[in-house]
Amino acid sequence: MAAEPGTSRSLAAQIALMLIIILFCVFPFYWMVTTSLKTQVMALEAPPVWLFEPTFANYVTVLFEDGVLRTLINSLIVAVSTTTLAIMLGLPAAFALARFEFRGKKDLWFWFITNRMISPIVLALPLFLIVRNLGMLDSRITLILIYLTFNLPIVIWICTDQFRSIPYELDEAASLEGASQWRIFRSICVPLAMPGIAVSGIFAFIFSWNELMFALVLTRNNAKTAPAMAVSFMEGYNLPYGKIMATSTLIVIPVLIFALIASKHLVRGLTMGAVK
Amino acid sequence: MPATTSRSTIFAFLGPAVISLAVIGIVPLLYAFYTSLYFFNLTKLKNARFIWFENYGSVLTDPVFWEAMGRTFRLLLISLPLQIALGLVIALVLHRPGLGFLRVLTRLSLVLPMATTYAVVGLLGQVMFNQKFGVVNQLIGFLGVEPVNWIGDPFNAFAMIIFLDVWQWTPFVALVLLAGLTTVPGEVEEAARLETKNWWTILRHVQLPFLMPGLVAILILRTADTLKLFDMVFTLTRGGPGSSTELISLMIQRVGFRAFDQGVASAQAIILLIITIILAQLYIKLLYKEV
Amino acid sequence: MKIKTCVSAIALTTGLALGTAQASEWTLEKAAEPYAGTIVDVVFLLRPGYEAAEAMLPDFEARTGIKVNIVKHPYENALGQQVLDFVADGDFDIALIDLVWIGNFAENDWIVPVSKFTSNPDLADPELDMDDFFPLVLNAFGGWNGEVYGLPFDNYSGLMFYNDCMLKDAGFDGPPKTWSELKDVYGPALTKDGKYAFALQSKRNETQSADSFARMLWPFGGSFLDEDFRSNLLSKESQAGLNFRQDLMQYMPDGIVSYDHAETVNAFAQGDVAMITEWSAFYSSLKNPETSKVVDCMKIAPEPMGPAGRKPALGGFSLAVASQADEDEQAAAWLFIQWVTSKANALEYLERGGVPARRSVYAQDGIAEKFDFVPALVESWQDGVPEFRPRFAEWPEITEIVQEWGTKIMLGDVTTEEGARILGERMEAVLEEAGYYSGDKPLAQ
Repeated sequence: MAAEPGTSRSLAAQIALMLIIILFCVFPFYWMVTTSLKTQVMALEAPPVWLFEPTFANYVTVLFEDGVLRTLINSLIVAVSTTTLAIMLGLPAAFALARFEFRGKKDLWFWFITNRMISPIVLALPLFLIVRNLGMLDSRITLILIYLTFNLPIVIWICTDQFRSIPYELDEAASLEGASQWRIFRSICVPLAMPGIAVSGIFAFIFSWNELMFALVLTRNNAKTAPAMAVSFMEGYNLPYGKIMATSTLIVIPVLIFALIASKHLVRGLTMGAVK
Repeated sequence: MPATTSRSTIFAFLGPAVISLAVIGIVPLLYAFYTSLYFFNLTKLKNARFIWFENYGSVLTDPVFWEAMGRTFRLLLISLPLQIALGLVIALVLHRPGLGFLRVLTRLSLVLPMATTYAVVGLLGQVMFNQKFGVVNQLIGFLGVEPVNWIGDPFNAFAMIIFLDVWQWTPFVALVLLAGLTTVPGEVEEAARLETKNWWTILRHVQLPFLMPGLVAILILRTADTLKLFDMVFTLTRGGPGSSTELISLMIQRVGFRAFDQGVASAQAIILLIITIILAQLYIKLLYKEV
Repeated sequence: MKIKTCVSAIALTTGLALGTAQASEWTLEKAAEPYAGTIVDVVFLLRPGYEAAEAMLPDFEARTGIKVNIVKHPYENALGQQVLDFVADGDFDIALIDLVWIGNFAENDWIVPVSKFTSNPDLADPELDMDDFFPLVLNAFGGWNGEVYGLPFDNYSGLMFYNDCMLKDAGFDGPPKTWSELKDVYGPALTKDGKYAFALQSKRNETQSADSFARMLWPFGGSFLDEDFRSNLLSKESQAGLNFRQDLMQYMPDGIVSYDHAETVNAFAQGDVAMITEWSAFYSSLKNPETSKVVDCMKIAPEPMGPAGRKPALGGFSLAVASQADEDEQAAAWLFIQWVTSKANALEYLERGGVPARRSVYAQDGIAEKFDFVPALVESWQDGVPEFRPRFAEWPEITEIVQEWGTKIMLGDVTTEEGARILGERMEAVLEEAGYYSGDKPLAQ
């Protein structure tokens, strides 16, 4: 790789491109944060101001008066629980799809993946009516279970590929020593599949954290999640942009920190998915 | 090849996932299908009655439905190639050796758009693209461009949606492709570089085969996600002005939860589902060799 | 199309019934005694009138022991959330009813007529005085088919807010009296240097139907429906109104089709637009120096007149007891509704930024001087069109059609005539399905 001809012109071009990419990715985020530190009058100033005295008033208001804090906690509980559940249910299934031979395997795999593609609008109302009949509206458990519809497929998809990339000889060796399938799965394959599990977990967490449609239809006060809360500031009467951006920042920051920490895994896991 | 396993073992592994997904995923679908055969308006439940496939007839002949569908595919056909082209450029830039720190920084910043809540992207769009106090118009003003009416003009509003979709998803595409590039064996790539300096030749003949699985995954995921796209557009334009950004998910939401015609909305949803499944089958049959 | 006038008759009987009860002994505390600890769920919007009521609430809760649980939703979600709750036999004990939802809620039996409570001497405040509500407002916001369901709570009338300084600079002594004057005289004179004469909020939601489409229909003699409930949008008058709107757009900011209330009010507050026709509820934010740069220049007049007279936009919300609530919750809910809309609380509500519909409060000395929107408001409520937007059960479907094709007309996607024709056809299809043409349903709107 060191043989790469690093002429100064192509080096400059590479630096310039990277700076553009960084700017392109970071600028909207920067703008969101700065707007959240403006008063309403400042936020509506035309042309927009770049230098100003920041205020944290928006954060104080949304966190402690408007109840955004509670919705963030809800989001966290829901996202963590549904991710854990999806991995617990999805891993054995992925293992079975990768290792066992049985009739209809292809169709089953396809059915799992299809669930990831169903638009939530298709399920929103029937789910509302069913959940209402069960008396489970406005409950976090409901969201945790429903988010499995898109989290299970992603776990199964990524982890099936992951298990398949683990040499089958390891299984056979263990099997000769009399280990059960369950033992092989638990002691040999799961530890080796950790990168894939991590990636699917990250994706499941991000998807659940960001979900809006089900949260809008199925929650009211108790189980309201943060994205549903952000949207509820959008009253055509008065758009408090500072507050909206403060809430948005609060929603994005946790998932961002999580994603940044995990970003190494992310790329490695995506690599894994690409190995065929 | 894996050996045959006893049925009970297979069931023990698959059962929990299959059963839970069936209960949560299939039961509501059946319910939606059942609803789609009824005149079923939430505000007129007294008039609810079985009408066979009448709802499907009216959806299939409704030009507004097909316009929304067309708009959705237009978005896909414009933004997906852009995302792949830009993503490829970014992946190639990041794949070049050297500049370690800056590369890490770039890779980290790519995570930002991906992780941003979709609904927040729309809210942010409202702030940044506002004709008067939006920063986008200020920035293009520095280049001497007159303020653009982004949100209020049908053409511009659609362009804005494309822009934000590209902003959010190009990094994902870039990371997947970057991952693909790193799977190219070092010696193969080096040998190729000794033969030619033309990056296009290397890309086409050496790297592309390794990128294919990632590209297929991108194709499948982006198609599904565009058909599902709701949050960002809902918070940004709500489908307006007029119907210029009313994608299929927004339309179904409007019919089902604002006009409360759940019968028609369910029929629309079922038709959307069928289209999604056909597309997914097609992609997987044609492109996905696994399983 | 006849305005229902049974309202005052009901009020009268109520008054008589109360006369016989032990009126002198009635107190809120005593009436609420059996219901202490009851929790009442209600939807509130994020608007000034609700903030005012919320600020007053601790007093009510302390006196009664009833807990009012407020669920806040933006207007755009309020109908959906309530419909979902009511069809699912949910938790809301009070319905918040925009005047265009009343037919829908009443016909579905989701709400209880007030007579159930006014006829109960234990619950009815002797000071209730239904006649004190502006009859138009009580009838339009709370009444359906001769029955009163809701008491007017958050009340609006369309007013014209104008920037007197801009008008003076352009040589005008006062606001335009008629719509055509606004367009032909004020429009060209005030649209220059990046400023605009007028802004008409027209975003594709209820704003398009109520603030934009209907506002241009009625003053020109047009209407949504004719006497037989067929579309009247192709009539000469309706077309004149819609074409007028199209013509007027040259004096409005670009992208007016994406303007909701917030954008319109902000354009006026920033001094970019000389005149707007907006709801009375915006008075407080336009009078606030923190949100408005035109506090000293702003003046208020009734909406301009058209060839058919002054037909200002009419809108607002009433509160009604939900029938899904149990008896205790219903009683507690009624006590809250009665209290929050009462004559005794009207002044405090007004001073905190709400707009009560009580005639007595506006007749008090000094009110018209202190709140300079009052004269125009009172005038607008003397006489108006309750079916400014039809209030029947089909409105949620019809407004979606109006929003879609109304904005398409404005954007020039279709001509006024073509758009009105399609709109009319789709509207008639909904009414056909509802059974208006087969005689199954009385022609009430």
